[in-house]
Order: sequence, then structure tokens, then C-alpha cells
Amino acid sequence: MTAGEAREVPAAAAPVRSARPARPPRAAGRLVRLYATSRRVPAAVAAIAACAIGLRIALIGHWDSYGALQLPLVFEAGSAAAIAITTASPLGDPERVAGRWLPFLRLAAALALTAAAVSALAAAGTGAHLAGGTLDVLRNVAGMAGIGLLCAAALGGGLAWAGPTGYLVVGAYGLYTQWHGPALTTPWIWPARPPHDLGAAICAGLVFTLGMAVITVRGARDPVGE
Amino acid sequence: MTAVSAPAARRPVPATRRPGLATARLLRLELRHNAMLWMLPVVIALFWVTTYRKTMAMPPMWNLRAASMQSGAIVDFITPVAGAAAWMGSREARRHICDLVTITARPRWARLLATWAATTCWALVGYLGCLAVLYGVTAHQASWGGPLWWPAAVAAASLPALSALGFAAGTLLPSRFTAPVAAVVAFFTLALSTQLTVGSQSYWQVSPLVTGPWDTGPDAGVATFYPDLPDLPIAQVMFLAGLTTALLAALVLPRGSGRRGLRAAAGAVTAAGLLAAGTAVALAGTGTLDAHGMIAIPALHDVANDRPVRFTPICSHTSIPVCLNPAYASYLPATVTALEPVLSEIAGLPGAPARISQAAATYQQGAGNSVSVGLAGPLISGRPPVYYLLLPDQLPGPTMAASELAAKVQLGAGPGIISTFIGDSPRASQAQHAVVAALMMAAGLPQHGSPPGTTPAANSEPVPSGHSRCESPAARCAASSPGRAAGVMNQPPEVAPGSPAYAAARRFAALAASARHAWLVQHLTALRAGRITVAQLP
Repeated sequence: MTAGEAREVPAAAAPVRSARPARPPRAAGRLVRLYATSRRVPAAVAAIAACAIGLRIALIGHWDSYGALQLPLVFEAGSAAAIAITTASPLGDPERVAGRWLPFLRLAAALALTAAAVSALAAAGTGAHLAGGTLDVLRNVAGMAGIGLLCAAALGGGLAWAGPTGYLVVGAYGLYTQWHGPALTTPWIWPARPPHDLGAAICAGLVFTLGMAVITVRGARDPVGE
Repeated sequence: MTAVSAPAARRPVPATRRPGLATARLLRLELRHNAMLWMLPVVIALFWVTTYRKTMAMPPMWNLRAASMQSGAIVDFITPVAGAAAWMGSREARRHICDLVTITARPRWARLLATWAATTCWALVGYLGCLAVLYGVTAHQASWGGPLWWPAAVAAASLPALSALGFAAGTLLPSRFTAPVAAVVAFFTLALSTQLTVGSQSYWQVSPLVTGPWDTGPDAGVATFYPDLPDLPIAQVMFLAGLTTALLAALVLPRGSGRRGLRAAAGAVTAAGLLAAGTAVALAGTGTLDAHGMIAIPALHDVANDRPVRFTPICSHTSIPVCLNPAYASYLPATVTALEPVLSEIAGLPGAPARISQAAATYQQGAGNSVSVGLAGPLISGRPPVYYLLLPDQLPGPTMAASELAAKVQLGAGPGIISTFIGDSPRASQAQHAVVAALMMAAGLPQHGSPPGTTPAANSEPVPSGHSRCESPAARCAASSPGRAAGVMNQPPEVAPGSPAYAAARRFAALAASARHAWLVQHLTALRAGRITVAQLP
């Protein structure tokens, strides 16, 4: 054993000797922090904040009816994509095996980020003409986040953005058909429906619930190394 | 065997350098492990849901479907291509293998180029498949003309540019968030930047989503009587090629990408690409709406494209033939059905048109994005006289079904033909008003505007000027252009119910068709000259 190694041993052993059962709140907090860090949750929060700021700046400009309706959808899709991306795990199977609290952490993270996205985008539209209002934001973000979570389970967290961004095109087209018929009236294209449309809300809620359930139980399909 | 008899050891043969083979192998590897391959189902689904269904609902005309395909396909490909390219561009950094691949035999730029090329190849494969299906079905359905390749080329040129944009973002800012950010930003920039297009001299026309005068949408009236102008597509392809070149060359610029000479060359290529893109933007800004409804750019314009297209019109076998451009063959039955009652009323009378012929529309840029569309010449001319009309689909607005078109023709061109034939106008005599009203009654046309539940006639109502784009989802854009009525408006003045003219009209309409015809043969000249009074009508 070298001198260096000898110095290392007591140093490494010291915490073992003084280890006491950590207080549950502190341990839980540490677990949440580690989970959030590994999933890039702070970056996702920053991305959601950037979307909200972008929406606010964009709402200052003059948009015709097309633009005014499609504008929030773009930022909602961006936020939903950021939520979906946080499902990607850099740890893979070891974490799945050892992480007892993992399903709850996944659920909590997705729910918290969705709530943050809805709040941020709704706040960005306060005092400006936000087409559809807060209800529209809630429905669209929840629905697209659900699509993103389902995509994460199917394609992997890294490519989960394909769902919300692809649905963005469908939603924008659905809004376009309100002018150039025949209009798409299916509630599955909820961005094209009015904010108080019950069918659209149910569809979006169903997709969100399904996405949450799948991601909670199974997690994202992530290849190790991505 | 002794040492002497042993064959002399051969000199080692230097390995043959076959860079083409190595590049192909690298490309093959990249093609097999490319995220764009996984995006193809998404792209195809988007294309089917949005572009294919919308385009196939249009009449089978190449001009309409090619324009719709261009803008639709680009919108469908924006997010998957930009996102997948960004994902591939950030691959090395995401997997923490930058140091590992730095020591490989291939230089960094060659590796990056192979990854970008593979992404672009898959995007192009997806696009060409979509294009082949759409154009194949259209070729099967279209009655005249051939595929328009410039719109297809613009959409194809957009894919390498989108791929390069996403790839550059992924390479320079590698993160798991880069892909969605690139996808959303690209969509926002392309799809919503067209809001800035105002008039035909806008620099924003260089956007590949623009297929003609902005806000008018795919227009059945263009590229049928005159060739499709390649001016704007040339500028767009030039812009996209320049942008792609500049973005790819910029990847070689960072220190460590290659030798100094290579980076200097990349700098020159970047500058050349930017110059080409800038020139294209400047050229797009010099565009003007020509008389045939397309954007003409003086520096790129070929005067040969101003000559009308030669075609043999297709005509109906009615008492007065109705002749249309063969591109509109699918509209002929509806048009004939709509006009036949009117034509049977005036057929055989002196001065009746020998033919009803479809004419080319003439376009004029108005304020903002409004476009005036009308008939260039008189409604009726020549010997024997020919009555010229514009089909409602030649006017800005959404394309319409045959039944909608028939209703518009009946309510617009029908009264116009009778009115022109009798010489009716606000200054005409009461007898002329009465005869026109009578003939309209006999032909089953409404007297006072459109009947409830129908849309107004395309060429019967002047509409206010302004944007031709609808500002309300409830309204369809049919009557948004101020020019919808121009040149073809010759609607008869209304005959008020209860007036002597109205009574005379009802009386005249109640006559047998042969009696009306006989009376008109005898008195038409005097009627046109204003020498017949209401009381003299039978």
C-alpha cells in the first residue's frame, strides 16, 4: 500500500464509522435532487421558462388570425417535448433494479413539469391576447405531454420529442382547416377544438393519463449509453 | 528446399487507396444507424394526414396539386428532419465519444458530412416516396398537362437545408434538448415567418413555403393558360442551396476541425454559400406579380414563358357550345349543366353568342396582399360573337366541389350572359329589364340575389378590398379578393316586385318558350335599341 493509498483509506472509511441513519426528509430530498439531475430536470425547467418567455415576446407582435391561433401551440409543443425528454435515463438497468422509488419519482417529475409548463405558459399569456386562454394551454400541454411520454415508452426518452413536435404539425393543420375546409372536427386533434369542447378535453386527458401511467410503470425505453 | 531456391520475399504491396469505397462504407454505416430512418413513419403519417388528403381533395389539376404539395410537404418534414439531424449531429457528444473518434482515420469533417448525408438521404427517400404517390395518382386523374417539377424541386432542396440546419445545431450545441429545440425553432421560423410576407415584392417570398402571391393559396387560374414561371422557385432553390452549403462548410471552421488550409477553404465556401443565399433573397425582393398570376423576377425571367400555352379546348355538344381549357375538363359537365337553361333560352336568336369560352384571368397586385383578378378583355367579342367567362375556380379562394362551382356559375355567369345578350344595364329601358328578368325566371334563376342557403355568385358581387386571406374561421375565403367581380360583372339591375316591369316580366316568362323565342327574333333589335316599351311586351 502506498502512502497515497494509505491516506485514502481512512478518509474513505471515515464516513462509514460516523454513518448514522439519514433523516428521511433529507434522504428523500437527496433522492429527488439526484433523480432530477440525472434526468436534466433543471434544463427542462429552463427550456419551459424559455418557451414561456418566447411566447410572451411573440404575443407582443401583431399576428393575423392564423398566427395568433397557431402561436401558442408551437410553444406548448416545445414545453411538452422538454417534459418528455426528461424521461431519458442515463443509468439504465441498474437503476431500474435498485430504484424502489423510481415509479413515484417518474410520476412526480412528469406531473410537476407539466404543471410548471401550464403555469408558465398561462402566466406568459396574462394581459395579452392568448388564443384559447388558460384552458386551451392546459388541455394542449397535457395532451402533448402525454404523447411525448407515450413516445418515450415506445421510442426511448431521447427521441420522445418526435411525438409532440409531430403532433404540432397535425394541430397546426387542424387549425388551418378551420379556414380552409373541410374542417377537422375529431376531438383527437384537440388543438383545433374550442377550449370548452368536452370531447377534446377528454381525449387530451386520456392521452395524458395513459402517458403518465405507462411512464410511471415502465419508464422510458432507453438504450444504455444515450 | 534450400534457402537459395526459396522464392524471394515479395515486397509488401501497398494497400490500394480507394477513398470512394471507404466513403460509401461509412455512408452505409451511417444509413443503418440513423435516427431519420425512425422518423420516416412519422413523416409519412404526417404527409398522409395533412398534405395528401388535402391535395387529393383538390380537382386533379397539376398547378393546384403541385403548389399544395410543395408547401404541405415542407411543413410535414420540418420537425422530423431538423430534429433528427440535430439528434445525429449531437451523437458524438451525447455518447461521450468525441475523443475516441478524433483518432480515427477519417477527418472530422468527413465523418460529419457522412452523418449529415445519411440523414438527408433518408429524408429524401421519404419525400420522394410521398411525391411519387401524389404525382402518380394525379397523373392518373389529370385530364391535361404534366407534372410541375419546380415545386417538387423546391421541396426537395428544402430537406438538405433543414437537415444542415438541425445538424449544425446538434454539432455546435450538443444536448438532449437540441433536437426538439431545433425542430420547434425551425417550424416556428418557417411556418410563421410567412406572416411577414406583404405584397409580391417581399423578401420573405424566398421562403420555400411560398408558391405564389402570398395569401391567395393554390390557385387553379395560374399555370394553365400560361406556363408555370420558374422564377421564384429558382430563387428559392438558390437560397436553400446557398444556406445548405454555408451551414455545412461552417462545421469545418472551428479550430481542430482540420488543417489551416482546409479551414480557410471552408471559410471561402461558407462565404460563397451566404452570398448565394443573400443574392437569392435580394432577387426574391425584386419579384412582381405578373398578369398571369405568378411571381416574375426580372433577373431570372425568360420572356418565352410569357407566351400562352397552346391547347385545344374541350367543348360541350349543347345548342351553344361551352368550351373550357382542357385542364378544367372535370368542370365541364357542371358548367354545362349550370348554363344550359340560359343557353337554351337565347340559342338561335340574332346576336346570340356562337360559343361560351373560358378565358385566362388577369391579375393585379393590390394593397397589402390583396390581388385583383378579372377578365382582361370584353365579355363578348368577335364575329360570330363569343362570350368569355372565368370559372369561379380561376378566382382566388378555396377550390370548390363541382356542385359549388355549378351553383356559382349558374348564379354568376347565367344572368351575365342574358344581360349582355339583351344589352341590359342600369341605363337600359324598363322593357330590357323586364325581358332579362323574364328570361332569368324561365331559366330558373333567382331574381333578387342568391336564394337562401346558397353562396353568392362568384362574379356577381363586388367585394371589399383587403387581405384575400380570411380573417374568420367561420367564413370560407371565396369572396375575399376585390377582383373576384372585376371584368366579368354584368349583372342585370333588379326588377322590383309590383312594378310594371316585374308584371311584364312575369307575363313574358309565362309564355311558351317557342312564343318567347318568336317574339325575340322579331323584336330583339328594337328591344336592344330601347324602342320597346313595357306595355308592348306580350
